[in-house]
Amino acid sequence: MLLLGTLMHVKQISRSPFEVAIAMVVPIVQATLAVYLFRSGGEQHRLIEAAVGAGLMGVWSSVLFGSGGAIQNQRWQGTLEMIMLAPRRPVLVILPITVATGLTGAYSLLATLAWGRLLYGIRLDFAHPAAFVAAAVVCVVALGMFGLLLASTFVLMRNANALTNALEYPIWLVSGMLVPITVLPAWTGPIAAVLPTTWGARALREATTGGPVWPSAGICLAISLVCLTLGGFAMTYVERRARAAATLALA
Amino acid sequence: MKTLRLMTVGGVIAYRALFNWTRPSIFIGTLLVGPLFQLLFFAYLGRQLQVADDRFYLVGNAVLTATLAGVFGGTLAVGNERRYGTLGHVLLSPRSRTVVFLGRALPYAGNGLLIAAFTLSVSALLLGLRIPLPALPGLVLAMATGSLACSFFGLTLGALGLRFRDVWVISNVAVALLMLLTGVNVPSAGLPGWMVAIGNYLPITHAAEAARRFAGGASLAEAGPEVAREALIGLGYAVLAAALLKIFELESRRTASLETL
Repeated sequence: MLLLGTLMHVKQISRSPFEVAIAMVVPIVQATLAVYLFRSGGEQHRLIEAAVGAGLMGVWSSVLFGSGGAIQNQRWQGTLEMIMLAPRRPVLVILPITVATGLTGAYSLLATLAWGRLLYGIRLDFAHPAAFVAAAVVCVVALGMFGLLLASTFVLMRNANALTNALEYPIWLVSGMLVPITVLPAWTGPIAAVLPTTWGARALREATTGGPVWPSAGICLAISLVCLTLGGFAMTYVERRARAAATLALA
Repeated sequence: MKTLRLMTVGGVIAYRALFNWTRPSIFIGTLLVGPLFQLLFFAYLGRQLQVADDRFYLVGNAVLTATLAGVFGGTLAVGNERRYGTLGHVLLSPRSRTVVFLGRALPYAGNGLLIAAFTLSVSALLLGLRIPLPALPGLVLAMATGSLACSFFGLTLGALGLRFRDVWVISNVAVALLMLLTGVNVPSAGLPGWMVAIGNYLPITHAAEAARRFAGGASLAEAGPEVAREALIGLGYAVLAAALLKIFELESRRTASLETL
């Protein structure tokens, strides 16, 4: 059910010209910006990191806006009641949507790598190619699980859009997707440590430049499983509350 | 006087209508917190890569943050009329639609100035950038000019909403391109010539340069030409927006595609 649901939502999202354009064009512009910045800073040898980092930023944007608005989108489409009526736990119905946002976010990663190779001749010399693929998969699935927590908590907030719009850059910044965490103030360290995005970005960076990939990927997955559990409980609570108060279809 | 009233009062009513739909949290989250972190992101990236100093990033990005209100506001000013089915009513008005729509851009310019001033003040406090007091009037002038130019640029994109189905792709990509092409984050010397050439005809490029000069202690005579260039570009986009709105309105009437989404 999870696989079929995810596939269906990936297909649905992929048919939206807006989603695909945003997932591919904006990260490419950001990657171009990162490349010229890295070049200006005399860091030509790190261009592949710029491409990977910009791609991961695109994955996070996709998960944030897609998962954050997952319930609201179903509500606007008039399909929320139908999917909540399914004789399955709400988490099993919503998780495919949030994982699908992570998978379509992976278009960003593919786009920035292809762009870097074709346009700027960046050699895709990954230190651990197989580990990079594995880390990317872990990252996408983990962010999908993190997305479930976002979806379930955002639905409790009347103006979740405000939080969604405000969360894009802070997570890019604190997770070290492009800016190393070491240059940030020390107080951001504990916040970064509990975010799956931090460990996902680290795993991808280590697979790219060399380093122990698996511990970072493992921690990323572990934190995401915690998010999945919390998101599952929150989703059940939200569903029961909405049914009791008859507010499921109300914004 | 009537035209001026239509332009300002009409613009303010449309702006209020947009935010009356929501709570202040949307405004704070989207237009204050988001842009502040955008600025901090590039400031820390710039610090790490040592491409330029804090003044370059903080002042430049503060001016750039006005694009959020300007570009998306300008797009919303036209796009929402179509989306909510009220475009026909506006176009039926016996008054000049050009004035009505150009007036819509004014509150967004004010909004952009507020965002730019907020992000610059807070980021300067957080990252310890000292801005000399005599530089403030010049900075406000540069930011205001940039915000206005950006709003007319947004209105130009919004005009495309009368012709194209999904104007949101255009506005999202435009905001990302402004980050790259205006030289706010990468100094012009680090960009290819064609990107610099395009950037010279985009809003923000000259306003950011003027603001940096003012923040560095330049006088109005020294930074003024950049402000004038920005104003000229803003005027150019205002004319372009007015022309496109007129052309697309006539085209929509001719093909009966006014409310088609």
